[in-house]
Amino acid sequence: MSSQGTTTARVAPDPPQPPEAAAKARRLSLLNVAFELRAFIALAVLIVVFGLLSDSFLTVTNVITMTKHVAINGVIALGMLLVILKGGIDLSVGSIVGLSGVVAGELLQGVALGGVIAYPPVWVVIVLCVAVGMGVGLLNGVLVTRFNVAPFIATLGMLYVARGAAMLISNGATYPNLGGNPALGNTGFDLLGSGRPLGLPTSIWIMIVLAAAAVLLLAKSPFGRWLYATGGNERAADLSGVPIRRVKTIVYVVSGACAAIAGLIIASELTSAAPQAGETYELNAIAAVVIGGAALSGGRGTVRGTLVGAFVIGFLADGLVILGVSTFWQILIKGAVIILAVMLDQGQQRFKRRGAAASAVAASARPT
Amino acid sequence: MSAAPRPARRLLVVLSLLATGSLLAACGGGGAEQKAATQPSATSGGTAGGLIAIITPSHDNPFFKAEADSAKAKAEALGYETSVASHDDDPNKQSELIDAAISRKAKAIILDNAGADASIGPVRKAVTGGIPVFLIDREINATGVATAQIVSNNAQGAQLVAQSFVEKMKNKGNYVELVGKESDTNASVRSKGFADVISQYPDLKQVAKESANWDQQEAFTKMETIIQKSRDIQGVIAGNDTMALGAVAALKAAGLLGKVTVVGFDGSPDAIAAVKAGQMHATALQPAALGAQSAVEQADQYIKTGKASKEEKQSIDCELVTAENADDYGVFARK
Amino acid sequence: MTGHVLRACDVTKVYGGTHALKGVDFGVAAGRVTALFGENGAGKSTLMKILAGIEHPTTGRVELDGRPVELVSSRDAADHGISIIHQELSLCPNLSVQDNLFLARELRGRLGAVDRRTQRAATTAVLRRLEEDVDPDGLVGDLRLGQQQVVEIARALLQDARVLIMDEPTSALTAPEVEVLFRVIRELTGSGVAVVYISHHLDEALDIADDVVVLRDGRLVATADAAEVDIRWIVERMVGRDQDALFPRREPVLGEDLLTVRDLMVADPANPDRLAIDDVSLTVRAGEIVGVYGLMGSGRTELLEALAGRIAPASGQVELAGQALDGSGIRERIGRGVVLVPEDRQRDGLVQTMSVGENLSLAGLRSFVRGLFVSADLERGAVERTIADITVKASGPKAAIGSLSGGNQQKVVIGKALLTGPRVLLLDEPSRGVDVGAKADIFELMAAQARQGLAVLFTTSDAEEALHIPDRLLVLARGAVAGEFRRGELTREELMSVSDGGAV
Repeated sequence: MSSQGTTTARVAPDPPQPPEAAAKARRLSLLNVAFELRAFIALAVLIVVFGLLSDSFLTVTNVITMTKHVAINGVIALGMLLVILKGGIDLSVGSIVGLSGVVAGELLQGVALGGVIAYPPVWVVIVLCVAVGMGVGLLNGVLVTRFNVAPFIATLGMLYVARGAAMLISNGATYPNLGGNPALGNTGFDLLGSGRPLGLPTSIWIMIVLAAAAVLLLAKSPFGRWLYATGGNERAADLSGVPIRRVKTIVYVVSGACAAIAGLIIASELTSAAPQAGETYELNAIAAVVIGGAALSGGRGTVRGTLVGAFVIGFLADGLVILGVSTFWQILIKGAVIILAVMLDQGQQRFKRRGAAASAVAASARPT
Repeated sequence: MSAAPRPARRLLVVLSLLATGSLLAACGGGGAEQKAATQPSATSGGTAGGLIAIITPSHDNPFFKAEADSAKAKAEALGYETSVASHDDDPNKQSELIDAAISRKAKAIILDNAGADASIGPVRKAVTGGIPVFLIDREINATGVATAQIVSNNAQGAQLVAQSFVEKMKNKGNYVELVGKESDTNASVRSKGFADVISQYPDLKQVAKESANWDQQEAFTKMETIIQKSRDIQGVIAGNDTMALGAVAALKAAGLLGKVTVVGFDGSPDAIAAVKAGQMHATALQPAALGAQSAVEQADQYIKTGKASKEEKQSIDCELVTAENADDYGVFARK
Repeated sequence: MTGHVLRACDVTKVYGGTHALKGVDFGVAAGRVTALFGENGAGKSTLMKILAGIEHPTTGRVELDGRPVELVSSRDAADHGISIIHQELSLCPNLSVQDNLFLARELRGRLGAVDRRTQRAATTAVLRRLEEDVDPDGLVGDLRLGQQQVVEIARALLQDARVLIMDEPTSALTAPEVEVLFRVIRELTGSGVAVVYISHHLDEALDIADDVVVLRDGRLVATADAAEVDIRWIVERMVGRDQDALFPRREPVLGEDLLTVRDLMVADPANPDRLAIDDVSLTVRAGEIVGVYGLMGSGRTELLEALAGRIAPASGQVELAGQALDGSGIRERIGRGVVLVPEDRQRDGLVQTMSVGENLSLAGLRSFVRGLFVSADLERGAVERTIADITVKASGPKAAIGSLSGGNQQKVVIGKALLTGPRVLLLDEPSRGVDVGAKADIFELMAAQARQGLAVLFTTSDAEEALHIPDRLLVLARGAVAGEFRRGELTREELMSVSDGGAV
């Protein structure tokens, strides 16, 4: 064999793809679109199936009621999405739900200021409860960024701390009758859960507003870009001058605030606050984010997907209740849906890689 | 109530711990009528009689808290030192707590156990170690091990409340049943007690039966969904008061409150308040305080005389609480 | 050529969108040493991994004794008599020498228990053959790097391979150890074993080789009998062009001192007791390209990371145009005009989950913010301009970063740095793992930035680059500056000698 001459130094522009390779790439990209929309497809299937099986499923009032149920998990999941985009996890949200309700209950019972019992107006109560949620989130963030505690461990610890705090404040008891007293000027708390501005329950409006804010934050603000970058590759983000510590702290604060808002909605709906409210809600929120196509490793996920994920979980649960399916089956079906969603996600990633390799081979298939 | 430490101070302390304490700047004042009747004091009472260990499920349920509080108060009144602990329905933790009681040479153990089968071994271990065990609220599936098993009669209570429910419903109508955690024996015992009575009235039709895991928010959500299916509902019978109160909130949101008969079980202070307010029709009160006090008295007798004063299996009947007699009841006990 | 024991036939390998190998035919003959040459990123390691069953070809096949064979794993390859000594050590430091040698192929005695006695005897024998005095029961983690490499070689010998692949086996060996290794290789070929040998030390590889094969940009560009070629011939084929085209001549216009470093001391982040940078002082003027030549562990990466604010120096001053930068972090330094293009673009340079455009704008995002939000128009304009300026070959700003070739990915990392509007551009091994065309583009890009008045400081471990690109070259050895030279002052041999600390 003789030695070959040198090849051209510059790489030639990509030649047109051979037809069969192009067709393969097209097929793969169609499949990719189907995968991309899988959560929507799942939701559509749920709606059609339940709609066919029950007359009362697809009524306006039922859809509104179900959406109201979705809103609680949806609001928590929006906060969770930010944490997961960062590549973290927040297990403390369920406990923050309980803590927030308990703080609201305590404040609405009246706070003594220098011997006089003060009844803070409802807006003050709401602000303070959200501040408590943000405070817990800030602690999570500080543990993760300053003390290098793994997010799973830090928020697991806060799950217990916040729950214990809720128990301590309430002494284990439930606060009843949070409707307030007109004479004390602290009425209106129940409107958060039962009010219907413009015909829709307040909680749905809260979810819509928070989702819109999240979309703006993620798609338009520099913070959103920093967040995706930090979750995608923390080292690269750091070297690009992204303030990764601040980004990482803020997502826990936002997550805590969202959970606190959800806790307020629940306490308002029930006009009572129980310290054990919100147990295991963190898992529902994580499930919504994951069904919505976010990667637990960070950097990938959307508000739209997360909301669809929350709707899938909520409509599934309510639909099964309407059909009268046994509780045990409800639990099992929910688990199966989560696993299926994640499997499809893995499938999509594999297809993406295969698609990239296929088009690269097609591009290089030039005569030699 | 006035002697109790103010909840607002606890709130302050806890929130300061959470680094957000500066947001609130007050303590003292605020009445909280729903709070437990007795507050655990920081130090235990007399030490002459020795130690009595009180072990119950988690105090986040006011029922167990009332149980533990009254046992503690009774024991200290009788001159015993007490240790109060919660096993959180974890048999393993229960076993460790019993080990601790043995090593502290407790004179007796008052136990609301963590499982009818899983608790037999630990109870036997304590008895072998020379410590008599007095079971309250829940039985174990063995006799001759514990000195006493004092339980409230769930079946009787369920029938009692179901009977009142049926009368209020005038023997007819559509009703929803909310069942407790389906893995819990009490959930099925109560559900069966309801059915024993209601099945005799063919015009009473069960339109939905859902588990809400003893949980208020879950009961609220499920009830809202059930209402979506049909508003033609005249009654709700719930396996505990927490779920009944969740149903009340859902009925209120749907504008059905007052048109639907709601009954619960347990006799929690919140439920009694709802009964007084006319939101609930009735509940079956489990005399937790009574059972706990009785257990301590029997333990006292046993410690002093060395033999059991009553037969092992004892059951305490539940009491029906309706608007007529609601004022007579306090925290899981007749006033 | 006939008599190939193991052969890769028309093998192509694609990672993401990058071609590591393009239609390569490569065979090894029994009883001969085949030396494989090529620059970083030419595809040598990928080809060897395919022959050893660790990677699988995207297209093409592997033949053993003329018959197609599918090697599903390295274990499978080993069962076919193919062993590989990895470039990166693949030993378990927490296990003993003999446990490592017999890992996953433990000798079983009665009742299936590990027969340690026989294992120990075999271990002692093979280590004696390699003339290395190592305790078979000592922990691998306690051995020095060179000894670990000998253990790695011993493991491959124990497998009685018919084909033995050695990917940089001597990088940590002392000269006497290399001699022993060569003697062993000769013994092996004498008994009919086919050996593939890869080394950055061209003379050493040519010394032991019977056949010479050169890869460039994933293609096989030359094969020859070792006796008929010299190093110059090999280098020409490796680089693939005359050096003037790769290294453009330039006449720098020098301005003020932009970057001044005085008495910099930096602790080794991995081992804080040791200094990675030991008293380094340097200046870079506006319009100047300064190179830092250093081998692995010379401290070149730590030097640039300290200048970029990623690691805090133990002592010393860093000034930008006379203003102290001390105590400021990455973000602040980027704001003031000092930006780093990191060495490992996958790990430190790119966010794989983001598009080409989002990666480009990441570091300079602040300048596109209007009010609360990023202005899409400003961002798109800047990104499209940069893509055109630095000739990134991508389908557009929305293309996935993984669909780009290594060279284009590297251009994106550089473009990202340029979009911050820097005054000092730090580049850590900017040409590592990119093909020759992209390499020339990157050097041209650096020259263009210097023409616009930037101070450019880059590191390299490639001698040709070090000799031809920078206006001034600092040679770094063990964390200290071993010499400073103007372009053309130094020959390749002198450079090698200086970078080794002046002694061989």
